[in-house]
Amino acid sequence: MTIRFQRLLLIIFSLIFLTFAVLLILFNSKKNLVFFYTPSELLNSNTEINDIIRIGGFVKKNSFNNLGNNQYNFIITDNKNFLSVTYTGLLPDLFKEEQGAVIQGILLKDNIVNASKVFAKHDENYMPESIKKQLENNQYWKKKYE
Amino acid sequence: MISLVGFSGLLLSFLFSLVIIISYFFYNKKYLGQIFYYSIYLSFFAIIISFVSLIFAYVNSDFSNYNVFQNSHSSKPLIYKISGTWGNHEGSMLLWLVIMACYNFFFSFNKELDNDVKKLTIFFQTSLYLCFTLFVICTSNPFLLNSIEVYEGLGLNPILQDPSLAIHPPMLYIGYVGFSLILSLSLAGLIFNKINIKWIKTAKNWTLFCWSMLTGGIALGSYWAYYELGWGGWWFWDPVENVSLMPWIAGLALVHSLMMTQQEQLLKRWIVFLAILCFSLSIFGTFLVRSGILTSVHTFASDSSRGIFILILFLVVTGFSFILFIFKSEDSHKKLNLLFINKTSALVINNIVMLIACLTILLGTIYPIIIEVLTNKRISVGAPYFTSTALPILLPGFLLMSVAPALSWQTNKLPKFKSYFLVFFTMSILTLVIGYYTDFNIWGFIGITLGLIIITSSILSMYYNSIKFKSKNFFIYNNALIAHIGVGVMILGVTCSSIFQSEHNQTFVLKETKKIGGYSLTLDEIKISDKNNFQELLAIFTLSNSNLDQSVIKPGKRYYHVSKIITTEAGIYHDWFQDFYIVLGDEKEGEWNVKIYKNPLVSFIWFGIILMIFSGLIGIRKE
Repeated sequence: MTIRFQRLLLIIFSLIFLTFAVLLILFNSKKNLVFFYTPSELLNSNTEINDIIRIGGFVKKNSFNNLGNNQYNFIITDNKNFLSVTYTGLLPDLFKEEQGAVIQGILLKDNIVNASKVFAKHDENYMPESIKKQLENNQYWKKKYE
Repeated sequence: MISLVGFSGLLLSFLFSLVIIISYFFYNKKYLGQIFYYSIYLSFFAIIISFVSLIFAYVNSDFSNYNVFQNSHSSKPLIYKISGTWGNHEGSMLLWLVIMACYNFFFSFNKELDNDVKKLTIFFQTSLYLCFTLFVICTSNPFLLNSIEVYEGLGLNPILQDPSLAIHPPMLYIGYVGFSLILSLSLAGLIFNKINIKWIKTAKNWTLFCWSMLTGGIALGSYWAYYELGWGGWWFWDPVENVSLMPWIAGLALVHSLMMTQQEQLLKRWIVFLAILCFSLSIFGTFLVRSGILTSVHTFASDSSRGIFILILFLVVTGFSFILFIFKSEDSHKKLNLLFINKTSALVINNIVMLIACLTILLGTIYPIIIEVLTNKRISVGAPYFTSTALPILLPGFLLMSVAPALSWQTNKLPKFKSYFLVFFTMSILTLVIGYYTDFNIWGFIGITLGLIIITSSILSMYYNSIKFKSKNFFIYNNALIAHIGVGVMILGVTCSSIFQSEHNQTFVLKETKKIGGYSLTLDEIKISDKNNFQELLAIFTLSNSNLDQSVIKPGKRYYHVSKIITTEAGIYHDWFQDFYIVLGDEKEGEWNVKIYKNPLVSFIWFGIILMIFSGLIGIRKE
């Protein structure tokens, strides 16, 4: 085989493989991207029932119910709008009322989510930067956490 | 006082490095040549003194140091006082410098290389070191003094108070930072056009060492996540995990290429490219993690000035290296001996596969940032993206791995083709039969078949090797095959633990027994005890199987007084074939919520990784 032919072969092989990879990426990212909202943003988004979403906000005071058998419900709020969440499973240690939490789950009705994952970050001062900005706009973020 | 010593050490090390750079240009003068080497040693010792004094400040709980005050507490056990030194941004950057200086120091004893290449390597390595020292001094100085007098510190994040996390950062850094030496080595080789046998041998040894350490570091981190986070898994495709995986994959491609070019001196350009890529990915990962752009469970306290500094550093290092690469590298007109299927083409395919896998992970990791900048929407890319994209891409690589070491260099034939085919055939049938009797799942089938094929065909090749090279050292001759067996074992572990994992949510009252998947589990007692710096609640479970063998599992919770944080400690029963993994939830009217995972073959993952590290280190001795 000549060098030129070898190079051609290499390039063709790489291209085929790359196309395959790009197709995979496109196909999968369409399926596996999860959008991240605060409750207010959710209202303005064009999310449909049964979509998987992530919601960030605070757990509302006195909204937490332990239904037994690892089932819980609570309300996530950003001080303007709220969202009820039902969840089955173990809650993270740092999950508390009036603390930040991020949940991921299926939108059942307009403001009801069946969560499959609940995250409360390791640091109690933790909040994703972008969510923090949003909450600051709603005057909910306590400045002292800076 | 001790902070002052530490800071002086840091400054001295910086100054001595400047001396190295300057004296490089006057090397041929009589005395300055000596200065060159002496300042390497001095710079090294200065940074060691600086690091030791920081450790000393931590051990002594010297809260006049701001960094100690922020991250330590006098009631912490000694080992976590020491490991707390690198459990924060500033301290870990100092560790980074120490390791960088170590590489420079030990490399200066190299006798293999030509003198000019060696000196230029040290020159480049020192320049990199200077940049990072400047970074530490300007933006992340660990020796800042506390402006007010305090008598107690704020404490180290409790989930970091763990033995495996104490060794995880140093090991990881030895890997990450080691790639800087490979980069310097490549640039030096490129400039003098001396990428010859000696160069390749040196590069191979250092790369193997870094790569093995990186493997160990990542594995320790993931082992920690497995038992400390209580999520039942060991890899979450978290951004921080991804950024460590990318240089690892690139490093793996580099290791393979270096091992191969020892036989045929080709692909030099490609090796240099990979070397540049490895360290670029390391810095890029550091940038993503330290700048706070990516949010992950590992987030360090972020500061935009640090981010910008590292970004500039990344652009300069990567830009300079790639420009040099484009202009300097010779085009070897020797042709690649590509045949339909021989070792060289297998290597080429392996490299293409790895780089594309690396690319998909990179894309998935930075995709949220791109989307946010472009559309102001926030998204998260979850684990399913990575598993369903990266795995199919890696598949051809895995398939090839089973036979590649047995392929020949020159001919198009696979020696003993029939026996390999037989292995392939019987293993597929075997898995089909197993699959028929258990839950059949296409991923499970592919994973198990691949794992078995890789293991058996590697053992077969080892057998042929042992006939062929009777007198030679068994381990050294078969080191590639041992690593491949490690991968096979790991694939088996990964497949089984993710496909056949079972999850049970249960509630237990005291003395209650429940049946879980053929085992019976009893909650014997709840024990509360006071430890050094935390209070511990342990739920003592007894697990017994049908033969009435009993073992105790102790999941629990810890309350850390200082940081007022509760952490969950998973209880794990470990044997070769499965892990019983119990996480304790909360209590309601005497009923404890408990989550139980049955994870089959998790130990195979760790065992596979140990095999890989072992063979990587052995490879250093291979001529």
